[in-house]
Amino acid sequence: MQTSSSPSLCAVVPVDCVFNCSNQLPFPSSFNLGLSTGSRKLKVSRLQAGFWESIRSGLIKNNSTQVIEPSSSPQEDEEPLPEEFVLVEKTLPDGTIEQIIFSSGAEVDVYDLQALCDKVGWPRRPLSKLAAALRNSYMVATLHSIKKSAGEELTETDNEKKLIGMARATSDHAFHATIWDVLVDPSYQGQGLGKALIEKLIRALLQRDIGNISLFADSKVVEFYRNLGFEPDPEGIKGMFWYPRF
Amino acid sequence: MAFVGSIHGGSLPSKPQTLIFNNQKPSIHHRQRRRPTPPIFISTSFSDVNPIHLRDLCTTCNHSFHRFPNILPDGRVEPVDVDKLRVALSHSSVVVSVFARPELVTSLPENSTTGGDWYRRMIPLTPISGELVGFGRAVSDNALTASIYDVMVIPPLQGRGIGRMILQRIIRLLTSKGIYDIAALCSDQEMSFFKACGFGDDVLGSTTMMYCRSGNDMVVNAGRKLLMVPPLRKL
Repeated sequence: MQTSSSPSLCAVVPVDCVFNCSNQLPFPSSFNLGLSTGSRKLKVSRLQAGFWESIRSGLIKNNSTQVIEPSSSPQEDEEPLPEEFVLVEKTLPDGTIEQIIFSSGAEVDVYDLQALCDKVGWPRRPLSKLAAALRNSYMVATLHSIKKSAGEELTETDNEKKLIGMARATSDHAFHATIWDVLVDPSYQGQGLGKALIEKLIRALLQRDIGNISLFADSKVVEFYRNLGFEPDPEGIKGMFWYPRF
Repeated sequence: MAFVGSIHGGSLPSKPQTLIFNNQKPSIHHRQRRRPTPPIFISTSFSDVNPIHLRDLCTTCNHSFHRFPNILPDGRVEPVDVDKLRVALSHSSVVVSVFARPELVTSLPENSTTGGDWYRRMIPLTPISGELVGFGRAVSDNALTASIYDVMVIPPLQGRGIGRMILQRIIRLLTSKGIYDIAALCSDQEMSFFKACGFGDDVLGSTTMMYCRSGNDMVVNAGRKLLMVPPLRKL
C-alpha cells in the first residue's frame, strides 16, 4: 500500500481492502482513531472474536448467559403432538365407505402435494424446497381420503389413500405464527374441510400460547378467513414484502 | 504506516488515495446527508445474543412482542418473558444483533476527543465489550418463506442507518439461502421505515389478516387481547 501523500492522514484503511480481506485482518479495524469515516462498517475479524471468546470463557466462572443455539433436534415437549383422527365418515351411493382422516405431523409425500397444487391451479415450486419447507414448518395439517368397499376388512394395503387437503404454519414457537399454503382439493371443497384444517391449526397454536397468528390471503378467500375470526389489517398492521431491486 | 502495510492480505488494488473516496456507492453519499452511522459491531451469531440484555433493549425501545400489547398506565409496554424469549430465539432462522461502545450510548457528544479517552478507544469493540443497541430477527421455514420480526434500535441512535443495516443483513442471509419471499408485519410507525428499505405492500394483491376473535370462555391471553380457542366440533 502506497503511503498517502498528505501527511495529515495517518492510518488509512482502503474500503476495498476491508471488504475483501476481512477474514485475514490481524488487527481490529477500530484502530482508525477518530477519523470521520462514518460510512465504513467496522468489522472485527473472526480471529479477533475467537481470541476474546477464549479469554471470556477463561475469566468468567459463573457464566449466567445461556447460549442460544438454533434448535436442530426437535424437542418433544415443545412441538405439537402428532395426532390423527377421522374427521368425517360417509357412505357413498355405490356402497363404498369414505373416511376423511385428519392428521398433523404425518409425512407428506411431496409428489402428492405437487399434484394437489396443480389441481387447485398453483404455480409449481421446486420439490426439494417443498420438502424442506414441510420439514421446517411448525405444524403441517393434512387431510387424506380413504375409500374402502363395504364388507371388507380395513387393511392398509387395500384402500385408496388420497391427499385432499393441507395447511401449514411456520412459527418461532413462542410469539408469532404465520399460516401458509392452505389448499383443499376442488372436488372436496365446500364441505367445511378447510375450516376444520384452519381451526385445528389455530387450536394447536393457541394452546402453545402463540398469540400472533397471521396469514396473507388472496382477495378471493378474504371472506373465508373473516368467518374464521381473522381480521384484515387489524389496527393498521400491514404486511409488507421485499421487492428485489435488481 | 507500517501497520497499514500489514493489514492488507496481499492482493491490494493499488489505487491512489483520492479514488477511494470517490469510489463509494451512491447510497453512502445519501446516508451522509443524515447523521453519520456510528461505529458499530454487527453480529449474526446466536451465541452473541443475551436474552436478558435483549429484554432490556425491548423495554428501552418500548417494543412489545405481542402485536396488541398491554400498555401499562404510564405508556410503557409490559416486559417480555425471558424464557419465552429464549424459545423464540432458538427457533428463529436469522438473528442480527448490533453492538456499540457503551460511552456512545451514555454520553452522546459526538466528537469527544479528550486525551484521556484514547485507551478506551483502543479496546476493540466486540459483543462482550459493547452494549446491545439494535436487534432484528427472522423466522422462516428455510426453504420458501420468511417473516421478519422485532427490528429495533435504541431511540438515541435511531435515524442513523442502523436499522437499515440490520434489515439488509437479514435479507442478505435469507437470499443466500434462496429465500426470496420475505414478509414483515409492521404497524403504522414502522411502515415508512420498511418502505425506505425496499419493502412494498400488497404484492400479488394479498391481504394481511390476523386472528382476532375474542371470546368469553376458552380464551388465551395474547397481550391486550383474549383470543378465543376454536371449539372442537364434528363435521
